[in-house]
Amino acid sequence: MFGVHWILIAGPALFLLLFFVFPNALLLSASLLKSENQVLTSKLTLDNFGFVLSKAHYQRAILRTFVVGASVGLLVAIISLPISYFLIRTTSRFKGVLITLSLAPLLASVVVRTYGWYVILDRFGFVNDVLLNFSLIEERIAFIPSTGGIILGLTHALLPYGILTNLAALSSINPNLETASMSLGENRCRTFFRVVLPLSMPGLVASFLLAFSISISAYATPAILGGYASRTIATHIYTFIMQVLDWSLGATFGAILIGFTVFILVLMFRFGGRRLEL
Amino acid sequence: MSLPSIRPWTWLKITVGLTYVFMLAPILVTIVVSFNAGTRSVFPPEGWSLRWWYEAFSPEWQSAIYLTLGLSSTTAVLCTVVGLPLAFGLVRHRFPGRKLLILLVLGPLLLPTLATGIGLLQVFHWTGIFETVGFGSLLVGHVVISLPFAVRTISVSLLGLPANVEAAAASLGANRIQIFWQIILPLIRNGLVAGALFAFIHSFTDVNLSLFLSGPAAAPITVKILGFLEFGFAPTLAALSAISLIIPLLVVLAVQRTTRLGDFVYAPKQP
Repeated sequence: MFGVHWILIAGPALFLLLFFVFPNALLLSASLLKSENQVLTSKLTLDNFGFVLSKAHYQRAILRTFVVGASVGLLVAIISLPISYFLIRTTSRFKGVLITLSLAPLLASVVVRTYGWYVILDRFGFVNDVLLNFSLIEERIAFIPSTGGIILGLTHALLPYGILTNLAALSSINPNLETASMSLGENRCRTFFRVVLPLSMPGLVASFLLAFSISISAYATPAILGGYASRTIATHIYTFIMQVLDWSLGATFGAILIGFTVFILVLMFRFGGRRLEL
Repeated sequence: MSLPSIRPWTWLKITVGLTYVFMLAPILVTIVVSFNAGTRSVFPPEGWSLRWWYEAFSPEWQSAIYLTLGLSSTTAVLCTVVGLPLAFGLVRHRFPGRKLLILLVLGPLLLPTLATGIGLLQVFHWTGIFETVGFGSLLVGHVVISLPFAVRTISVSLLGLPANVEAAAASLGANRIQIFWQIILPLIRNGLVAGALFAFIHSFTDVNLSLFLSGPAAAPITVKILGFLEFGFAPTLAALSAISLIIPLLVVLAVQRTTRLGDFVYAPKQP
């Protein structure tokens, strides 16, 4: 018969089915429906995908989204590994403070973090002022809006996630392995590259994939630092849903995002050392 | 220690120092710029003033701040109430479909929030509930996306709870209700508080979901700032950004006085 666990989970599970599974299913089905005059009909079609994938304008946005995702994933993985390794191995009495400080940016919404980049990178911003002062440039350079700006902003935003992922992975490496390697005559550098790095691979892969999957559906950073010239899937979705009111095309882009995210998740569980546990 | 074995560590320290500058500089720049005397957001500031902070506390923005605080606190409470039985069922019981349920619970964390936002907006349109988006629609969405944080954190503290505590209490004559209220709840208090806190922070800093579920009258502060940024980077928005950073910071500091949060930030290995 029904055990006590069914009573515990039935309500919450129903809530998630109604307000998480159903909306996503609705979104996926809307991408397969024809819409006429901004109203969804019940006609099944693949036209939406054909339309989105055939227009050069949208092709560029899709390509840009994945270039951004891959670059951000790579940068986050590369930058977060050294700092995570330092935080795990340091004997400094400020260790706790340093760990807190590295995760503190999670308290700032993306809007806060992107605002700072605007002030730093704008045509009349800090970097331009410095470069002009030292006569390194003659005319002001517009660093943003650009694809590079999006990559920089998202790398900055997602670094704490990379650090968290790498901290968890590195904490399971036995420090005696490094001592053993050094006592056998390897120096610290070679020990890192031949002992620590291979063992930290799952963490690196996981942080790459995590940053990749979050950055392809980020909206605020591309909207602020990318502008209209460097649009991504997410900024197109916003325009379709909130401004053009074209549900089927918005849903189509949404379905593309969901599809790729699921693909990345499968890779993550396969190669990132992730298990489906709480 | 010989010289060559010190130097790589020094290099590492330099790299780490630069990483901290990279991570913290843009945030500090935003805060500094909000005290600028001039009318443009420039760094370093052209003199100091509190005028933008004064403007940030205008009634219009105040109501946005209160709305966000109300939304995030309610989300935190609801996530804890919904998350506790869920975590309990998942940690203490093995049943067919358990893996599927874990996938369902973690789903909002794994799939793009943006897509969930559009989907929810569609559901609300079609079913007619929350026909005008606002606090209600935002609340449902925020509970969905913040729930994984609460469930995971509560699970961590439940996993650290020895199962024989309950058996001991039962053998001494306590009934199920007494065991829950007098034994389990006090023991997992830290997990509940930390879970609520993480849900609060996730809700407070969200943009991707609120973007679609906000109405003109009811928008969280992040979405409202984002909307105004289109018209230019006014220093008032820097002050508001600083406020939206200070609120979760104060909440974390307050909670940290009574609860060790570090144990829950990166979950210890399961037994």
